[in-house]
Amino acid sequence: MSTRQRDSTDGLEEPDDDKLLRDRVRENPRPAMVWLAGLAFLLLLEIGRVFAGVGQAFGIVGFTVELLAGIPTSVGDNVAGTLGSAAGFVATAITAVLMAFAVTVPVSASVPDAAVDILGLDLSRRGHRWAKRAELTFVVVAAAGLVAYTPVGGAFSALIGAITGGVDALASSLPSITSRELIPNAGHRLPEGGWEGTFLGLSPAAAWAIRTGLVFAYATTVLVWLWRGFDVYRTHYRLADWTPRDDTVRRFRNNYWGLFGFAIVFLFVVMALWAPAVSPVEAQHNIYEPNSHEFQYLDENGEVTSTTHVFANLDSRSDGQNTIGPMSYDDYNRWAPLGTTNRGQDMMTHLSYGARTSLVIGITAIGLGALIAVVLSLLSSYYKGITDIVTVMASDTIQAVPALLLIMLVSVVFQEANHPIAQPLDGGLLLALIFAFAYWPGMWRSIRGPSLQVSEQEWVDAAKSYGQTPLQTMRKHMAPYIAGYILIYGSLLIGGVIISTAALTFLGLGINPPTPEWGRLIDGGQSYVSTSSWHVATIPGIAIVLVVVAFNALGDAIRDAIDPEADVDESEAAATGGGA
Amino acid sequence: MSQNAASTTTGDEATTASDTMVKVRDLKTYYDTGGLLSDRPVKAVDGVSFDIKRGETLGLVGESGCGKTTLGRTLIQLEEATDGEVLFDGTDITELRGDQLYEWRRNAQMVFQDPDSSLNDRMTIGEIIREPLDVHDWKTPADRRKRVKSLLDEVGLSPEHYYRYPHQFSGGQRQRIGIARTLALNPEFIVLDEPVSALDVSVQAEIINLLEELQDEFDLTYLFIAHDLSVVRHICDRVAVMYLGNIMEIGPTEELFTDPANPYTHALLSAIPKPDPTASRDRITLHGTPPNPRYPPTGCPFSTRCPVRIRPDEYEGLDDEIWTGINGLREIIRERMRADRSIRERVRERFGLETRFATIDETYDELFGGLAVPDDVERVLSEVTDAAGAHEEREALDRLNAEFGSVCDGVGPDGDGDPVEPEYYEVSDSGRLSYCHRHADEHRETAAVLDDRS
Ligand code: SF4
Repeated sequence: MSTRQRDSTDGLEEPDDDKLLRDRVRENPRPAMVWLAGLAFLLLLEIGRVFAGVGQAFGIVGFTVELLAGIPTSVGDNVAGTLGSAAGFVATAITAVLMAFAVTVPVSASVPDAAVDILGLDLSRRGHRWAKRAELTFVVVAAAGLVAYTPVGGAFSALIGAITGGVDALASSLPSITSRELIPNAGHRLPEGGWEGTFLGLSPAAAWAIRTGLVFAYATTVLVWLWRGFDVYRTHYRLADWTPRDDTVRRFRNNYWGLFGFAIVFLFVVMALWAPAVSPVEAQHNIYEPNSHEFQYLDENGEVTSTTHVFANLDSRSDGQNTIGPMSYDDYNRWAPLGTTNRGQDMMTHLSYGARTSLVIGITAIGLGALIAVVLSLLSSYYKGITDIVTVMASDTIQAVPALLLIMLVSVVFQEANHPIAQPLDGGLLLALIFAFAYWPGMWRSIRGPSLQVSEQEWVDAAKSYGQTPLQTMRKHMAPYIAGYILIYGSLLIGGVIISTAALTFLGLGINPPTPEWGRLIDGGQSYVSTSSWHVATIPGIAIVLVVVAFNALGDAIRDAIDPEADVDESEAAATGGGA
Repeated sequence: MSQNAASTTTGDEATTASDTMVKVRDLKTYYDTGGLLSDRPVKAVDGVSFDIKRGETLGLVGESGCGKTTLGRTLIQLEEATDGEVLFDGTDITELRGDQLYEWRRNAQMVFQDPDSSLNDRMTIGEIIREPLDVHDWKTPADRRKRVKSLLDEVGLSPEHYYRYPHQFSGGQRQRIGIARTLALNPEFIVLDEPVSALDVSVQAEIINLLEELQDEFDLTYLFIAHDLSVVRHICDRVAVMYLGNIMEIGPTEELFTDPANPYTHALLSAIPKPDPTASRDRITLHGTPPNPRYPPTGCPFSTRCPVRIRPDEYEGLDDEIWTGINGLREIIRERMRADRSIRERVRERFGLETRFATIDETYDELFGGLAVPDDVERVLSEVTDAAGAHEEREALDRLNAEFGSVCDGVGPDGDGDPVEPEYYEVSDSGRLSYCHRHADEHRETAAVLDDRS
């Protein structure tokens, strides 16, 4: 490992390792090209879904922006209510400026200095930084003002609408290899035997299996391809022949429990992402609007008749008397790989869309909570003193309220008021935000030790001694060390969030129907566990346990992987083993 | 450039030799670690003054916890000074803020003690050494890379180490990397905070030699903090000896090592194994540990442990063991005075129950048991213990000091008034200074007393 010393009097002529990644790729394009071509091919196969995803991302961003944009006015309105409209206007303006400023601080470092130089001021370094932020704030506020108060706003939203519309149109018109149109599995028996409307006339079960198999094969290929990308980069383009990350990856790859966790989490995520493809019936038809969608089936009299899902569901309930178990068809020729729910909806569809719900809530809650925790822990461990005390008090206050009580209170308040936040996912987003609020103190506490520790490292002092800014010091010299910890606690907690969501829904508090949620499935099936409809509660129950265990295993594996001590132990054990 | 700065700002008080680079005047750095409630700061650096000349290496030695690292960190503004000034080419850097401080930081850098902790493991060597250049926007990125490579060469590593990570290097090599980073901005002044103490003995010499070479090549001025005296003797032109936040003695290295003036320097040097077994003086054992810097003793900082503490004339002949006992008693009373006794303990005490404080009588027996204490001394001591037993610690201390105290404890010649502190006496032609009353005419010199008392 160690290297030669004083062996390079000739080492000063520029070796060719000073090029940027772009140049290195240009010099040896083949591996990168091959890899990119593979990726492009993979994307092309699912181009319809890619655009659907983009459209959804647009929707989420749009919703967030709208929500944030509403804050200044609602603050202003509140102030106006008590202090009069002039004060309200001032409050609106102040809130807007503050929010714009908060947005600019993290991005201003990446804006070129020329932006300030055009002002022609002779500024100190600090003055320069603030001038840049002020300038950006001004730009943001001006742009927001234009959109909000002038006709430009109309044009702007028209433009956005056009783009979103275009994306949606593309999403529905472009093909996907896993699409329902390409491999349909909804059809009906023919009086003379065989199937009508399914893929190649196969049975719906076979068609569904093919489509689902394809989904997982595709997802696995993407995963492999990403891994290949890392490999290609490592062997062909990376300058360092070893980085600490290599060891992390190696340790993770040798951790079978962690790999098991990863596999389950992967299945869970794929199920959530491809929910439309892996569900045998369309959620829109079967769950959300069963009234307005008809389909055909072969009735007892041997005639092809049509009915709506709402009637078919009524007859297909698994409620103890009546059971449509796993791997069976109901009386309406609908294939139910996991049976039906107590309300006659398709379990597989419910489960995959429920995975979506859980994933969205889990990621939003943990992502937001982790962000708060990391920012606060960086600030409080870098500045210590009063910042630390204030953070301790804030987190203690929040933790003093029982989390469950807090969640119930806040969600009831918002849902009663029918606040816009309570609408997405039938309360799911609201739940996620409350979880983030209730969970950040815990995450902050668990990374407080490591961040205090890293803030004591001499390299932080060294950075200060040559005048590195606090923000950069935190980002470069502290955050990477905390990132590992937050990843661990995040993945441990995400299981907790999923289970709490299910528990709340089980109690009837969390997510309202019709949004699919695993907790509601368990709730619905709990009284039939001892009957022939045992599967209604058991399948989602097992799924939850698996997912939570898997996230925990993943978290543990990440911890072991990023912890260099684990390696020391290994080699020491090996050494002593050899010696003895 | 700094040459000019220095010459334009002459006319300062005190010595203004044109080659003085750093002038420290009455510098104090206190920590307030006690949280919100405690009002007694830790006096890590408690009023020091000295000069560092351009191009020299000033050693700073002392036991751990004496404040030498804090002093070094204050000099490069990693720590904020509580009081006093640090004139760097005439500019008081303790007053610098914002951009001025940022600009000034180029001039003064630090090599840290622990090579494991001073390099960020997640960055490549190149990124680490480059960071100061990036922070100061030095030339173009390509120039910076070139400079990093020449720095790597300068410190005895090779340019292809640019893309390696700190994990791949040994302690000595990591320290070289740290040194390269320190040099990146071409500083004039470098604080070396025990740069070799964490390294194997075999590589210590290499690093020391490297530092010396670099000093010659780049005209660097060093403040070399260390507790290994032999290294200090090897590399330093002058040495400052620190104890409990004060500089006890400062002067040219050889002179200080061969003919120490201050009692603390004597004690410190006697801890080095002597190559010459016939050397006249024995090893001086210091009793106890250094006092808590939150509660430094009045008078001379070394007075609680000084082997040659000045004694009142009438007790000069008293047995050394009795003196040890008296000193111990004083420390214990001081300790009792500041220990906050909980209400519960006070109640227990009132009813004669056992508390976590030994009773003063037990202490007395422990200290003086088996010693032949002269009657007059015994009388005073029993008054003292009586007062202490009644929790009149202040009174007990006053009584003790009135009888046995001396200038060393801050008791002035007239017996009351503000506590007196020692002064710096010039003890040789080279301008060596020592902080001790022993150098005053009316007292005998340290060496003689040491011989007497040992
Ligand atoms: S002043 Fe007194 S106590 Fe201090 S070093 Fe000198 S002799 Fe010792």
